[in-house]
Amino acid sequence: MALVHARGLTKTYGSVRALDEATFEIGEGITGLLGSNGAGKTTSLRLFTGLIDPDNGSVEVLGHDTRRSSEYRTRIGYAPEHDCLPATTSAAELLAYMAQISGLPRAAARLRASDVLRHVGLFEERYRPMSTYSTGMKQRVKLAEALVHDPVLAFLDEPTAGLDPMGRRDMLELIKRVGREFGISIVISTHLMGDVERTCDGVVVLDAGKVLRTGAVAGLTEETEAVLVDVVEGAGELAAVLERRGLAPRRDGNRLTLERIAGTDFDVLRDAIVETNALLYRLAPERHTLASVFTPAGVPAGRREQDAT
Amino acid sequence: MNAAPGAAEIFDLGYQPYEGKRTSRWARRRAIWRDGVRIALGLGRGASAKIAPWGLIGFAFVPAVVLVVIAAFVGSVATDTSDFELPSYAQYYQFAIVPLSLFAAVIGPLLLCPDRRFGVLSLYAARPITPIDYIASRWVAFFTVTAMIAWLPEATLFAWNALDAQSPGTWLRENWDVVPRFLLAGTLVAGALTALSLFAASFTTRRMYATIGAVATLFIGSAIGGIAEENFSGSLSGVVSLAALPHVMVDGAQWILGDEDLQRPVSPAVSALWLAGLTIGLSALLLIRSMRLMRG
Repeated sequence: MALVHARGLTKTYGSVRALDEATFEIGEGITGLLGSNGAGKTTSLRLFTGLIDPDNGSVEVLGHDTRRSSEYRTRIGYAPEHDCLPATTSAAELLAYMAQISGLPRAAARLRASDVLRHVGLFEERYRPMSTYSTGMKQRVKLAEALVHDPVLAFLDEPTAGLDPMGRRDMLELIKRVGREFGISIVISTHLMGDVERTCDGVVVLDAGKVLRTGAVAGLTEETEAVLVDVVEGAGELAAVLERRGLAPRRDGNRLTLERIAGTDFDVLRDAIVETNALLYRLAPERHTLASVFTPAGVPAGRREQDAT
Repeated sequence: MNAAPGAAEIFDLGYQPYEGKRTSRWARRRAIWRDGVRIALGLGRGASAKIAPWGLIGFAFVPAVVLVVIAAFVGSVATDTSDFELPSYAQYYQFAIVPLSLFAAVIGPLLLCPDRRFGVLSLYAARPITPIDYIASRWVAFFTVTAMIAWLPEATLFAWNALDAQSPGTWLRENWDVVPRFLLAGTLVAGALTALSLFAASFTTRRMYATIGAVATLFIGSAIGGIAEENFSGSLSGVVSLAALPHVMVDGAQWILGDEDLQRPVSPAVSALWLAGLTIGLSALLLIRSMRLMRG
């Protein structure tokens, strides 16, 4: 079931067209809104939450037109990218207050605030002023703030921004847990493909305000997966065998790159290495840059980025 | 009987969805109002957050208590009390306007500036409330506290006058109209101060700047009004004297409280109307600004 329907969404800021007739749907589960800076991710989230209105087109969230109703916001959560936590207030106080203005009675709001802070790992620190929190703790408070009133759907804008690799991993695990165990659908905006692959079921790819692709993450990664094969010797023979068996390696000295490899292709690769006795030095996944994967015109083949993992 | 050692287990209940009733929009507005009152009084915050509000509340209220105590003492020792009289309800405003104005200038910005400074407005905007709900609830919250500070000394004087009368029952029957008068006067003054301080606060994320702006408007306006009264005459003097907002507030309160001893360039009724218009105008501008800030 689609939770968000965006139809022909256009939003401009002066001469900048942040969204350009974007049409897509977001279903249950965890969905990534993927795109580089300026792609229109934050604008999309602000439209979904009713913070701004579109210039053209419409958005329906949980069956409500965002321009006509604010009541649907009792069942959505939102964690902005920017800092939004009052320094002198404690996390417990902020969350209890936010729960109340989202429609929970006072006593229930306090209980929920403590409970949600326990789930995000801040139970012990819940009465400390938030000025004493680290960046990772603040990101967790923002997540808790989006969940405290038990929404059906939560929008998280760049939830891993500013986190170190460990903090990023923990945050993504937490988001996964919220999506899988808590039964709350999540939309995260990110420019990191790794975050989407690790966490999301679905993805909407935006570029310069236009929708480039929507669909399941599994299908997307199959199309974008590439494998690097570095051998000490025997690269030519290995490439020939792979070509005969239907794969199309690109050779650069002793390095072979196999584009869009998936499923049984890995078995073919393994068998070819064994058969040719190629002296394997490295076998590693390689990720395309967003631009090279999603921009129709493409970019020079050499522009790639190693997966951050 | 205690369980055997090792038999105890801790269960993780996991995530518990909220299945209770959701409150109405009025309850959400009330939550914002309650938060505003707590901020204005420094409740639930450290001792340093309580110094300014409670100091200024004391500044406004304690003199009334002291005067009543003196009146009670002088009365109890059966001496000639002709040289000591409690101030009238209207006269008390001539003193109370100073702490009331300072309270508005210093505390009012606390209800808006931190929300903007720390980016909390986007959290409000994504909740099931409108910008009008937010700003109106904040307005009413600060008005509530300011009006209480205006009413409390008057109520104290009224209570003492009733208790001190030969026949409190008769006195109350003859003077009951004082109560709606001092409530209305307090409402007029508190409304104007609330609108002014929150309007000033809507222009900046820094509380200090808003305080300076409100103080400047109140006290520099008084100076301009005073100069105009002394140096101009006729309608020009009257119009410029309206810039002296604290004087205008006292005039309006005195008119409502029935004090006839006024020598002002404009009639007290005009002062009261000017204050009411100013309150409505500044509140409307505050609302427009807040909608722009929240929906920007």
